[in-house]
Amino acid sequence: MSGFDMSQYLGIFLDETEEQLQQLDEAVVLLEQDPDNRELLNKIFRIAHTLKGSSASMGFEKMATLTHRMESVLDALRRGELRVTSGTIDLLLACLDKLRELKAQLASGHEGEVDTSDLVGRLEEMMAGERGGDDGSPSPAFEPLRLDDVEENVVRAAEIRGYRAYEIRVELEADCRMKGARAFLVFNNLKDLGEVVKSEPHTQELEAEKFGNTFRLVFLSKEDADTVANVIKSISEIKDVTVRPLSLEEGVAQVEERREAAAGAIPLPEGGEAEPGIQRSPERRVTQTVRVDVQRLESLMNLVGELVIDRTRLAEVGNNLKVRLGNEELVEMLEEISLHIGRITSDLQEEIMKARMFPIDQVFNRFPRMVRDLAQKAGKEINFIVEGRETELDRTVIEEIGDPLIHLLRNAIDHGIEEPEERVRLGKPRYGTVVLKAFHQENQIVIIVEDDGRGMDAEQLKRRAVEKGLLSPEGAARLTKREALDLIFLPGFSTSDRITDVSGRGVGMDIVRAHLEKINGTIDIQTTPGKGTRFTIKLPLTLAINRSLLVTLGDRVYAFPLANVVEIIEVEPSQVRRVQNREVTVVRGQVLPLVHLAAALGLKGERAVPGDKAAVVIVGLAEKRVGFIVDSLIGEQEIVIKSLGNYIGKIPGIAGATIMGDGRVALILDIHSLIEHLGTAGERQLAS
Amino acid sequence: MEQLVVFQLAGETYGVDIAHVHEIIRLQPITEVPRTPDFVEGVINLRGRIIPVIDLHKRFGLPAAEAGNSTRIMVVDVKGITVGMIVDAVSEVVRLPEENIEPPPPIIQGVDVAYLRGVGKWGDKLIILLDLERVLRESEHEQLKEQVAAGVAET
Repeated sequence: MSGFDMSQYLGIFLDETEEQLQQLDEAVVLLEQDPDNRELLNKIFRIAHTLKGSSASMGFEKMATLTHRMESVLDALRRGELRVTSGTIDLLLACLDKLRELKAQLASGHEGEVDTSDLVGRLEEMMAGERGGDDGSPSPAFEPLRLDDVEENVVRAAEIRGYRAYEIRVELEADCRMKGARAFLVFNNLKDLGEVVKSEPHTQELEAEKFGNTFRLVFLSKEDADTVANVIKSISEIKDVTVRPLSLEEGVAQVEERREAAAGAIPLPEGGEAEPGIQRSPERRVTQTVRVDVQRLESLMNLVGELVIDRTRLAEVGNNLKVRLGNEELVEMLEEISLHIGRITSDLQEEIMKARMFPIDQVFNRFPRMVRDLAQKAGKEINFIVEGRETELDRTVIEEIGDPLIHLLRNAIDHGIEEPEERVRLGKPRYGTVVLKAFHQENQIVIIVEDDGRGMDAEQLKRRAVEKGLLSPEGAARLTKREALDLIFLPGFSTSDRITDVSGRGVGMDIVRAHLEKINGTIDIQTTPGKGTRFTIKLPLTLAINRSLLVTLGDRVYAFPLANVVEIIEVEPSQVRRVQNREVTVVRGQVLPLVHLAAALGLKGERAVPGDKAAVVIVGLAEKRVGFIVDSLIGEQEIVIKSLGNYIGKIPGIAGATIMGDGRVALILDIHSLIEHLGTAGERQLAS
Repeated sequence: MEQLVVFQLAGETYGVDIAHVHEIIRLQPITEVPRTPDFVEGVINLRGRIIPVIDLHKRFGLPAAEAGNSTRIMVVDVKGITVGMIVDAVSEVVRLPEENIEPPPPIIQGVDVAYLRGVGKWGDKLIILLDLERVLRESEHEQLKEQVAAGVAET
């Protein structure tokens, strides 16, 4: 490679390739649903073309060859010389898988072990087969479905007499010895069922064996497509037969399209950006971008975090000086600088935060392919709808959200959506609908995974939990419907009676829960038996910085995330009542459970005896409200969340730690798990 | 030749591979973290990083020692896990030829043999070589989990 150091480009190449493969995955799956979408075909062609160019310029022969062949097939597709069939889609997807494999090999530093010859062969075959045998150069005589006026009239006349017109595509075995004879047999067998109006290539060429392995016929018959196909299949050495109804309008439209395509297709400059003909997409983005190493963004974020801390310290110093020295000029200047730095820090923080935001499409775009594969494997028919791809969220959140969504989608397909036959019996459409959507709501991201399948039955879930020994019968009886639904999050719980290929690998909702907890997300289930299930996930926009209420307990400082703080009250000892041995108080008519924060955290021997008044922080989580008794309040502050590290790991009730202005470490409370553990402590029969 | 950081713990001399030692700092205020095993003293702020600190006396079940002027936190880094370890004193860095290192004898006072890499002879002294990876990783993790679970059950 002529002395150039290509390795520095490899990273960029791999990144881009990944992106392109994902786009292709998605577009090809869409194409399957909408085979006549030319815009889509153009897009696919364009991406494949770019991929071909970049892999060739990097000198990756195998990848270049494979993409080159793909490009040819795609070009034929978009010119209308080839037709999009499930076979084509399968082949294209197989190519994408192979390209991924190649990419993985390249990432690990060598190209070589991946065998692409089979796919390259199949692509070539597809080209040769469709274009007839004359050296692969497209000849107008061999265009599919191009009926002349006479033929068209014959077809129309026959249709009036009750005949149906079919387009038949016959593929012979690759090693078929006497192709001409086979073609003759096809004609002969069809004679009994109707009339061949046209063949492609022409019968003379068929006789002379001047064709590839495929030929097409336009056939008129009163029989149905299956009968016709079976008659042809009875002949030996025939690999594949497709019979589909021919509609004249479609045929004509195709010819029109072809003309359009032909008119624009000739000057196709290298680079593949110009689209043939009319539909040049006008909205090409002109924003200039720079690729930045994620690590670098991460450390920028950390630095800003430090700055946020110092800003707070600076303000503290200013205040102290003011107390000591009064309104001296230097103190005022310091105050001014401190304010300014504060503002700049906020802006900087916001900008970096934005730089870390990615559209959720990054996660979503791999799902259409996955759903298709899963549906095929499970024998389900699924209409997959994705909305809100442009919704942006923090990179850290993006990283974590993929896995839970995979599990939820899998579950929807494997357990939620019924078999097509069953759906028909239930009076539902054959196609199950799975919806994945994302949107912003206040300071949160909401992601919904919804299906119109079986739904879940709370009673059945309880029974299953008891059967599996996860719950005692008495415990089950006590659960509300809500709590029963939450049972699916227990490890080892599965609603599936049979184990499919996919879900057999211990797919569990407990994993979903674990991932969501990691990013402070919540999940809610709404389900109606027979109607479907909806999972609603709520996530914070970012994890790194958080406004908090700082409180003290003894000489330690704890931080309540402000998002969870409902209000702060003072409670006199006389206002504390006892209900079932638990302390409560009444706030504006509502009973509020009171908990000593020290007790909730499991700290021993420092339960502050409520003297005159106790400071109570009322926190809220979904519909729950709990008042935490603390020693004193410090106030609100912006804090940088740092993890306790993987040595200590996840501690119930603690979300992480932060460094305060004076350098001390304060622990950040995780309200979710704090309250959860309060709740389960009373109902510990569960699980044990 | 091995380079070891040598430190004192409950009257014995211990050594760890210098490659694992990130830095050695004076004792500083430690923020206690609830629901951790008692040998986890808490966390400290190491120039903006949050580092857990463990007390090696408690970790190994050795008699506790008062924190004194020579008490140090030795920050070690083993396979991505950074932990501060409280030791009585850090004395020196020594070079020890491989042949001076012997496998751990079956009976040794104090520390569980499982955490030992061997015993090094250095002059007339014996240096107990710790296998930090095992000290920090294995059983400790399990223990942590158990204690966390137990802590939860109590409340």
